[in-house]
Amino acid sequence: MAKQGVEPDELTQPFWDAANEQRLVIQYCVDCDRLQHPPSDSCRDCDDGGELGWKQVSGRGRIYNYGVVHDCPIRLLQEDQPFNLAVIMLDDDPGIQMYSHLPGIPVDDVPVGAAVEVIFEPSANGQLVPEWRVIAD
Amino acid sequence: MSETEEQSVTILISFDIDGTLEVGDPPGPLTMDMVRLVRDKDFLIGSCSDRTLSSQRALWQDHDIEVDFVVGKHMLADVKDRFDADVYLHIGDREDLDRQYALKAGFDFLWPDEAVAHPHFQPDI
Amino acid sequence: MTTPTAPDAMYRNDEGLGIWEHRGKVAAVGVGHAPTSRRWDGRPETCVGAITIDALRKAIDDAGVAPDQIDGLVIVPVTTTGAFWEAGKPLPMDVIQSFNQTDDPLDGIAKLSAEWLLANMPELTNVNFTMYGPGCMSNALNVTAQAVGDGLAHTCLVVKSWHNFEGRYYQGGANAGNALPGTPAITQLWGGPASYSTALQFAEYCRKYGKAHDMMAPFMENSRRNGLRFPEGYWAQHRPEELGPEDYLASRWIAKPANLFDNDIPIMMSGAYLFSTAERAQDMKQKPVYILNHASSNTRPRSLLPTLDEVEADTALTGRKIYEGAGITADDLSFENMYDGFSLFHQFHLEGLGYRGIKFGEALDFYQTDISIEGPNPVSPSGGNVGSGRSRVWMHTDCIQQLQGRAGARQVTGVKPEVGVSGGPMPLGGNYTVWSASPD
Repeated sequence: MAKQGVEPDELTQPFWDAANEQRLVIQYCVDCDRLQHPPSDSCRDCDDGGELGWKQVSGRGRIYNYGVVHDCPIRLLQEDQPFNLAVIMLDDDPGIQMYSHLPGIPVDDVPVGAAVEVIFEPSANGQLVPEWRVIAD
Repeated sequence: MSETEEQSVTILISFDIDGTLEVGDPPGPLTMDMVRLVRDKDFLIGSCSDRTLSSQRALWQDHDIEVDFVVGKHMLADVKDRFDADVYLHIGDREDLDRQYALKAGFDFLWPDEAVAHPHFQPDI
Repeated sequence: MTTPTAPDAMYRNDEGLGIWEHRGKVAAVGVGHAPTSRRWDGRPETCVGAITIDALRKAIDDAGVAPDQIDGLVIVPVTTTGAFWEAGKPLPMDVIQSFNQTDDPLDGIAKLSAEWLLANMPELTNVNFTMYGPGCMSNALNVTAQAVGDGLAHTCLVVKSWHNFEGRYYQGGANAGNALPGTPAITQLWGGPASYSTALQFAEYCRKYGKAHDMMAPFMENSRRNGLRFPEGYWAQHRPEELGPEDYLASRWIAKPANLFDNDIPIMMSGAYLFSTAERAQDMKQKPVYILNHASSNTRPRSLLPTLDEVEADTALTGRKIYEGAGITADDLSFENMYDGFSLFHQFHLEGLGYRGIKFGEALDFYQTDISIEGPNPVSPSGGNVGSGRSRVWMHTDCIQQLQGRAGARQVTGVKPEVGVSGGPMPLGGNYTVWSASPD
């Protein structure tokens, strides 16, 4: 599916740079050692904001949940409707979620709970974007 | 299609309501008399709208027009399965909710303004 | 006068605060609604500012208060969540010139400031307290109740309005472009519509408890039935269409398992109330409806979307806060008017409240019983957004009108209307008000 391109900004530059190197990094707080996603200007758990960094994660996870999108607000994706839109929970920290279109999985036939691994797909402007594919347990 | 050809084939027309028919919200350019005209030509007709099925039925009943089907936007493929016709045409005002659904279901498509000028909606001479 | 946004201290976010210090000492009296419409037709008299003035004047008149007695105004400055004035689109100068404008030309058209309202309501000569309650009426009500209780104002208007323009919600702007900035891209690149998060919570709920989407049909039918008895609402005014099981279940998916009617219809509307101290309210035209408590949730999900565990933990916490501050239990509720705009989360609110004793996983079964306004367990007697269109206001108006005994054809008859609760929007992060026919 042809996703919109991405124009990295200051907050998310490390995430998108790593994606272009086919690595998945997640923002984390150096002080409390907790991952957080989506990234933010400050740690959501530390009262004083916490010092933030980026941590490479395994790129493994599980399909936590999904819906089927039939009426999408993004014009570029409308030709691909209906499509799966799943939420992945990372093995490194199951509280951390990422979205996936689950390329190759038939619409509305999503194996909730299945193991997945990250892959990287080009978006409209060439920026690589994390996606996920089902793997054997 | 000539008038003679029109009379020898079965034509099915699906009407969107809002933005298409004069009774829609917003009103569209197709009058209920135009709908009656194609009804009188023995076309198969019905509505395909995001309005509820019951309110579509009520609308046609209020205007004393007998229709062959009322369906939701996503149900044109079912209409094609149910009715044997030579021409399947949907008329609507939205790119995503009318034209794309129609083309995916194998229907021809006309915008309301195009439909008004189409020979289907001209009286037989 | 520059209007501030309400400080965090005005909200009751925490459990353990005890009975609200102003319990029964603040009352809602007047109600005003402007006529609804599907979209703005471009005329000055129907812009969001104009309909807001209409609603405010009706609330003042309904309460029987002279405008110069009003000293407070609380509003929600944002008047849409998905219909925006396109960048570069010419400004409607004829509309702008029809009003006393602030330095923002879209004030009164695509947003609303307290300054704009005061500049265009010359009869409000004594307003010296203005404040923004951001988000929706539920928030602004909490702010108003606290402000009147704290003595910041003694006779205070509160209003929430919505504009809607041509075109489809959310379809313009960045969503129509070929690229997104990096930060929104992380959450928006995959194209989930607005109801997607709620749809997923509902999907998880159904898997966990063995329920199905079609079990929503009685709730939807009941809500629209109640809405069609709400003369202020969109469906009652423009398209009195019922929403039976066939209608609901045949509608197309937006984000399965959320279908078209699980999403509310965007409209133009404005609803306003007049609040006062319980003491002053005694002399007004309508019966006072007393505020027993207001409570809020500022919980955020750990990551992209709330999980069902997070939803259930927070709705239960919200229920405890609501009851604690009001000094009541679930048994005291005559009815509930929690938010429904998306319909698929109303059951989370119900279960968090423990309304009529239901527990997690039981609300959809409860929907299969008598939930009508004539029965002993009325659910959403306002009909909510399902019944009257997108406003996040109907539930509050209904609580006031039910307890005043002037809900008309919508009046609950299976229970004596004594205490009601309303609020939302989302199960995580919302604002709630407990209303009572009596101050005690």
